[in-house]
Amino acid sequence: MNTAEATRQIYWNVSHIWVMYALLLPTAAITGYGIYRQTSRWRLGQSAARFDRPAERIKLVLKHAVAQQRTARSKFTGLFHRLITSGLAILTIATTVVALDADFGTTIMRGRFYLYFQSFTVDVFGALVMVGTTMAVARRFIMRPKTLVYTSEATLILVAIFAICLQGFLVEGWRIAVTRDPWAAWSPFGNLVALASRALMTDAQMQAAHWGLWWFHLATVFGFVAWAPYTKMMHVITAPLNVYTANLAALGASLKDIDFEKTESFGVNALTDYTWKDLLDLDACTECGRCTAVCPANTVGKELSPRDIILQLRDLMHAECRTSNFEIIAAVPATSPSSLWQCTTCAACMEACPVFIEQMPKIVDMRRHLVMEEADFPDSMQQAITSLEKRGHPFSGTQATRLDWAQGLGVKHVSEVKDAEVLLWVGCGGALVERNQKVTRATAQLLAQAGVNFAIMGREEKCSGDPARRIGNEFLFETLAKENLENLNKYKVRKIVTACPHCFNTFKNEYPRYGGRFAVYHHSEYLADLVREGKLKPLAESERKITFHDPCYLGRQNSVYDAPRTLVRISSRKEPAEMARSREKSFCCGGGGGMSFIEEPPDQRVNQERAREILDTGADTVAVGCPFCMTMLEDGINARKGSRDVSVMDVSELLWEAAKPRAALETNLNV
Amino acid sequence: MNILVCLKQILDPEIPARDFRVDPVKREAERGAANLVTNIFCENGLETALQFKEKIGNGSITVLSYGAPTAEDSLRKALAMKADAAVLVVNDGNANPDPLTVARVLGVAIRKLGNFDLIIVGREAGDWGAGQTGGLLAEELRLACISYVDRIERADGKLQVRRQTDSGWEVIEAEAPVVVTITNDEHNVPRIPKVRDVMMSYRQPLVTWTLADLDIDVDEVRAGNTYYEVVDLFIPQKETRCEFVGGDTLDEKVEAFARRIVEVTNAF
Amino acid sequence: MNDVVICFFAAGGYDKSAQGLAGAGRRLADELGGRLCAIVVGAGDDAVASEVARIADFTTVANQAELAEYHSEVCLSALAKLCGGLSPRAVLLGNDAYSQEITARLAYRLGGSAVGDGVEVRAEGESLRVTRQVYGGKAQAVIELKCMPAVVWLRARSFVPAPPRETAGEITRVALELQADARTRVVERRRAETGSARLEDAQVIVSGGRGIGGPEPFTTELRPLADLMGAQIAASRAACDAGWVPPTWQVGQTGKKVAPDLYLAIAIAGASQHMAGISEAKNIAAINIDADAPIFKHCRFGIVEDYRKVVPLLRQKLAALQV
Repeated sequence: MNTAEATRQIYWNVSHIWVMYALLLPTAAITGYGIYRQTSRWRLGQSAARFDRPAERIKLVLKHAVAQQRTARSKFTGLFHRLITSGLAILTIATTVVALDADFGTTIMRGRFYLYFQSFTVDVFGALVMVGTTMAVARRFIMRPKTLVYTSEATLILVAIFAICLQGFLVEGWRIAVTRDPWAAWSPFGNLVALASRALMTDAQMQAAHWGLWWFHLATVFGFVAWAPYTKMMHVITAPLNVYTANLAALGASLKDIDFEKTESFGVNALTDYTWKDLLDLDACTECGRCTAVCPANTVGKELSPRDIILQLRDLMHAECRTSNFEIIAAVPATSPSSLWQCTTCAACMEACPVFIEQMPKIVDMRRHLVMEEADFPDSMQQAITSLEKRGHPFSGTQATRLDWAQGLGVKHVSEVKDAEVLLWVGCGGALVERNQKVTRATAQLLAQAGVNFAIMGREEKCSGDPARRIGNEFLFETLAKENLENLNKYKVRKIVTACPHCFNTFKNEYPRYGGRFAVYHHSEYLADLVREGKLKPLAESERKITFHDPCYLGRQNSVYDAPRTLVRISSRKEPAEMARSREKSFCCGGGGGMSFIEEPPDQRVNQERAREILDTGADTVAVGCPFCMTMLEDGINARKGSRDVSVMDVSELLWEAAKPRAALETNLNV
Repeated sequence: MNILVCLKQILDPEIPARDFRVDPVKREAERGAANLVTNIFCENGLETALQFKEKIGNGSITVLSYGAPTAEDSLRKALAMKADAAVLVVNDGNANPDPLTVARVLGVAIRKLGNFDLIIVGREAGDWGAGQTGGLLAEELRLACISYVDRIERADGKLQVRRQTDSGWEVIEAEAPVVVTITNDEHNVPRIPKVRDVMMSYRQPLVTWTLADLDIDVDEVRAGNTYYEVVDLFIPQKETRCEFVGGDTLDEKVEAFARRIVEVTNAF
Repeated sequence: MNDVVICFFAAGGYDKSAQGLAGAGRRLADELGGRLCAIVVGAGDDAVASEVARIADFTTVANQAELAEYHSEVCLSALAKLCGGLSPRAVLLGNDAYSQEITARLAYRLGGSAVGDGVEVRAEGESLRVTRQVYGGKAQAVIELKCMPAVVWLRARSFVPAPPRETAGEITRVALELQADARTRVVERRRAETGSARLEDAQVIVSGGRGIGGPEPFTTELRPLADLMGAQIAASRAACDAGWVPPTWQVGQTGKKVAPDLYLAIAIAGASQHMAGISEAKNIAAINIDADAPIFKHCRFGIVEDYRKVVPLLRQKLAALQV
């Protein structure tokens, strides 16, 4: 046998092929209409610039739509999804090859290509699709993870794909059997069917069955293709498109800007208030439920579910052709104000989403409507907002001043220091919450020890605006940002170091829009640099078992993971421990998004859930890098600790613990 | 129903004690980095007026302030809360006018503005806390005055107001016009204005008068207070050290706490 | 012309505040070298008048039906008539709400100057000077009253009572011509549920703040504790504004000014506004979950714990200690 001659006869047993072409037309029309209908809905949305930097976008698609890196984070799901997608991709290519040879007179389907790819590879991948769909069905009916959406549609899709592949093998097998295909061995699964069939059926029976099933297979495939755009199978198109049009900036920069001069209504209460990208998001959802699975509010039993928000908005969008004039906050159960006010804006949902849906900004958009258009938000948040308006800090009723922490340290105001290298931005938390004043002291002392020429802005500091922005009062945020920038520019600040990841994120990602031009460092980054440069020489003497809690706005939202860990490692002799959920998967302390100003129900506290995880590591110290985490975790641990004592320490305090003895020593020598 | 609400802009009363300084020469608090805010009882008053207007379905609310040019902010905020008109009488003569001067100026301005059925004043201000403006204004206008009011309703063409007393409430039926001073209550917590309305408030007209516009003798006002004068202002020194009761367990701590309670209550 | 008038409402009784007012009047009259005249308005028995008469040089009583129930416009004109006839140097009133509300108007009608919440009154040359808290209790001001008479309401319980004389001063009864006010009419009076005694006179006060978290714990936790301690129950402005308890319970700059032997602040943060109302308390103790709460800066002793855990235990401990 000459392998170069290897091929098979297309259609073989089937005639009247024009029927297929005739069916192709309505199929394509129905599919096309389905796709058109979806895209036309997106066009009702507001504008958004999401086609810049194509090279980066293509890279993202390769990573997350083709290689499916995020999907694969869950091993089982990742495996079956890759089996199905890669299988279907191969099958599609094979079908295309057949079409080319049949309709365009090419002869690709020959020789080695026919044997290696068209027969063997396709056969194997076809089988893998069947394995994949079987796994997926098993997950739905046996494993039943609770965050998954259970619909008959989803099951039917899996069954249909399985059936299509099964049909393919049967058709192939009977053809092999009847034609005594010399290359049968190259199609192992088809051959298996052939061998089995020959034992049970006559050639005539097989030929007839082949004819019937061929047409039925065609009908199934065409039906499936026509139906697909009306189901979540549409994600085959929307998911890569959504990944392509994803937000390329850090997660910390995902909220939209508002131009108060030009905007008619603030925030979102109608689907048409969203951008086309937001609406595309809704159709891109594959109902996997990972966002809700990682949502801290949902984890502790609250009603907030980012998945349900997306899906219910999607259903509303599909049901309501004219999507304006529909008040979604009231109409959609998942977007009830009570659930919107449970979001900590930690962005875990966005980080978890395999198709880059932006759930959190949608929640903030609706908060904006509630706050700016309705002035309707929880009392305790109102207090924080009122305090921000009147006093420039959110801690209503505090008796601390912005300079209490600095007593006896001789820290200078930026106007008193010539050519200050660094502005130490203390932040409201660092100045006005007594526990955090110690953190600010530690940071200032470390900077001093390293000989950094730094200064502070003292009473001229105002809240960066982060809580105002996350609560939804964009207008107040803008006011605060402009006031701060006026001062920062007045003192020609070029480098800012801050211990507050919320200030850090705001300065870094949100102030540039208003003309902020400075380098921003989280204190952990700056201190780690000082250690590396040898300007700080800590000598760890402590035996603390430390676990580091990633602040959402430092880690997940700005990808700073290693600097604080460096500090933790050099602050103790013991090897640090990692929590089950760490780095980009870190679980929020519960304090973001204005939530630290709200009293949570005693049995639904995010901080206690995190405290439990901290205690599970066996660590005696949890290191933090955020004033809000400090407060939330101290509270959480106090409520949970039982007999074990776990201290909450900022990374700068730990470093100072290791560096201080040396400072004392050097002072003594100088004396 | 024409309603007038008087507003006073004051130094933020929530300045932390350690940031609070007084100028012993000028005999007033130093502004420092603190903000100026609307006196809370005036906001309670405005809120009461807004709710009253919403309830009766008609009426107009005018807000009036006698103060520094910065008091415009308080008036703008009142407009954002949905007051209908705002008038500022600029105090260009006397930084700390005494209560009678204030009542006289407000009285003249109110007469010039026209007829009001209801004149609302906060019970006192968070700075000097004199609590006299309402009463003196009523005397100036020869009107009755009802103090410590927390609710206003309309019944049979009359006003029905509820006011707090030491032991409870009194419901008083009053013929308009009347002056009421407002105290705080769970129902008159000032609303948060909508951001849209805040932005719009800066485009609304705001009447500004000087004392001369009111035919008030500016020189007399500048000459100083004839009713009363602050002759000394100081921050009292208090030193208290809290003893946190000790103990390893909650039980021990509470035991110690209970003993301390018995100690101090039996000692007197 | 150096006389001092002290004004009482018969219905108020001769309580600690009334005694403080009488004492303050006595000392000021002595300082000025004038007579101390007491005015008692109301209807019914003469209990207050006969007590006051042992302090004042002479006492005028307007005991008539029109004054049976307080009405601000009627009482104001009665007091204006009585004081006007005496041409005093100073008129002193107590710190009840009725006295507070008419002080400035009385001064207006007498052509004098008024000030309220005085904690100290003294003569300075021709004028009177009154010390009072300002800026929410963060500062104290000395205010010079420029017109005569000086009409002042006092934080009466802060003043030491005067020793009563053996023989009572002269009591004059007058019948004033009073007209009901046509413009305002009291149609209903209601008492809020409070303890029997006035907060201002309480020896011990148990007070709850925002941290209490709702209305129920006031009944289930604070009330039994207060009953056990023989205390009055009060609240911070935050708790009143939330509607958890009646506004009559409010202690602070704008609520009641109290001076108990022990003020037990439960879940009260201690804003200066609140502290202004308890600056005369002899001892402040606090239960608060937040060790940084400003209240602890004013406390004699405190406990950092959740009040929900402390209060039930505290009741047991106190009950055991009192046996």
